[in-house]
Amino acid sequence: MDEGEGGALMSGLLSFLFTAQNWALTPDGVPARLGEHLLYTAITLVIAFVIAFPVGLLIGHTGRGAFLAINIGNAGRALPTLGLLTLLVLLMALGILPVIIALVILAIPPIMTNTYAGIRSVEPDIVDAARGMGMTELQVLFQAELPAALPVIVGGLRTATLQVVSTATVAAYVALGGLGRFLIDGQDQQDYPQMFAGAVLVALLAILLDVVFVGLRYVAAPGGLAARRKTPTRRAASAS
Amino acid sequence: MIEFESVTKRFPGGGVGVEDVSLTIPTGKITVFVGPSGCGKTTSLRMINRMLEPSSGRILHDGQDVAKLDKAKLRRGMGYVIQQVGLLPHRTIVDNVCTVPFLLGRSKARARADAVALLERVGLDPVIAKRYPAQLSGGQQQRVGVARALAADPPVMLMDEPFSAVDPIVRESLQDEFLRLQHDLGKTIVFVTHDVDEAVKLGDQVAVFGGGGRLVQVDAPEDLLGRPRNAFVASLIGRDRGYRRLSFVPARDLPSHDVVTVSTDATTREVHETSERTGKSWVLSVDSDGRPVSWLDGRGDGDDLGRVPVGNTFTDDDSCRAALDGALASPAGLAVHVDADGRVVGGVGHDEIARYVTSLRSAEGGTAEDAGQDAAVEADA
Repeated sequence: MDEGEGGALMSGLLSFLFTAQNWALTPDGVPARLGEHLLYTAITLVIAFVIAFPVGLLIGHTGRGAFLAINIGNAGRALPTLGLLTLLVLLMALGILPVIIALVILAIPPIMTNTYAGIRSVEPDIVDAARGMGMTELQVLFQAELPAALPVIVGGLRTATLQVVSTATVAAYVALGGLGRFLIDGQDQQDYPQMFAGAVLVALLAILLDVVFVGLRYVAAPGGLAARRKTPTRRAASAS
Repeated sequence: MIEFESVTKRFPGGGVGVEDVSLTIPTGKITVFVGPSGCGKTTSLRMINRMLEPSSGRILHDGQDVAKLDKAKLRRGMGYVIQQVGLLPHRTIVDNVCTVPFLLGRSKARARADAVALLERVGLDPVIAKRYPAQLSGGQQQRVGVARALAADPPVMLMDEPFSAVDPIVRESLQDEFLRLQHDLGKTIVFVTHDVDEAVKLGDQVAVFGGGGRLVQVDAPEDLLGRPRNAFVASLIGRDRGYRRLSFVPARDLPSHDVVTVSTDATTREVHETSERTGKSWVLSVDSDGRPVSWLDGRGDGDDLGRVPVGNTFTDDDSCRAALDGALASPAGLAVHVDADGRVVGGVGHDEIARYVTSLRSAEGGTAEDAGQDAAVEADA
């Protein structure tokens, strides 16, 4: 062959992507796999958010348990998802549950640490004034701290989403669907163009979701915070 | 009225505390807490709205122990202004001003309309209502902070170094407008500052805090300047205290007398003749309405005649400090006394101002007694 190995792979990729059959609405077509992939991601993120967000708020607002949060965060990052998944499958048998649990454990740390860090990073004067005006603790949290921390919190969701989208490929490893199917099946069948196409699709999906988050981040920082990014806040001499 | 009854605050880690402070803060007046950093003045302020709790002692607001009141409710009834303002960055200026009315569940439309009027009242252009805090200058933010504290019309205002973070010129205008506003509103104000000038200018009553969170002296500003209770207060007030005290002596009764004036149209020769005839080396030129324009050297040459513009004049409503400043700044050594319309009434020399102030002191019978009392207190301290 005149073409190098890379060239062969590239033309294989293109022929995979431009083969109509691969995009058919069959259970093993790209649209169905994409749908499965997005479903795993969505379920994971909702569950992770429901757990991590309130904990992050509580730790951020009270300043208690920060040590715990940081260590859970670091431990969560260090856990290899594939190993964890294997362990869970051995313990619980095949199915979607071990996959979701493994992914949730992956998604919790960035959401929790960013929520906590976002709340902590709100200027103490803003919180002091809010409390001094007569806000209750819940009002301080939801009317002063949370809105000011929103961009950082959205940043955590973004990180979590990207990690989950790229890691959800492991679902295929335990006989489920998703874009990971193309990777696993491609490897089994030594169909490298199919594998490559799977990887490219995951990457494109990740980029697409990231773009969505860039937009969301802008929405999460209405007028005041956006303006603050443009003009640096005036910081006068600190209090005595 | 707010009363401190033997209030002590100790922090677990050491830190700034307050030691056995008893103090009455009268209704409708400005009470200033002043002292060096770490003297407990801010801690004392923050105990009034329960941002901090005393370790022992009580604070009463209109006879009620604040410790027995609901925190949020108590705070909503006391305006709160801090040095760094702390506006909510995600809310527009008008909604920031509406913070407390919204917390109280008042109608949004009504609260916003009131807030815009309040912005004007504190000297802001209502167009900024739709802007965000980050788009405002430090001085503007500080005014918004004051408007926000006033929004629910609380009887009490707690202000922690509200003007310290802005530059001196802005600070002075904020202080002047604050006094004007207070003149209309008559709030019970507790104002913390480390700046003695600010304390003396704004306070109806000044409470001086010293090391270890102790209250050293509580007095009207003129008494504080006239009779510092001990060496600490005297050194805090600093070396200009005699001069500062003149701020509290009205200029109304100064022995103002005629000054030699010429018209602004007068020729050099007329100025020379006037000077020679009266024996005064400087004559005052006045415009056709009788307002002072400049001092002219009666022996000066050429067209400008050593012309010095008349800077600071004084009226009956000014203090002896303004008059003395005018006299010292004038080449003739004379402060120009003008009426409400700015027309020349007379003049008074710096030596005459000094003699007048001395005569007041001896009329009070003060000098000897003062010295004795100072010595006694000093020994006491």
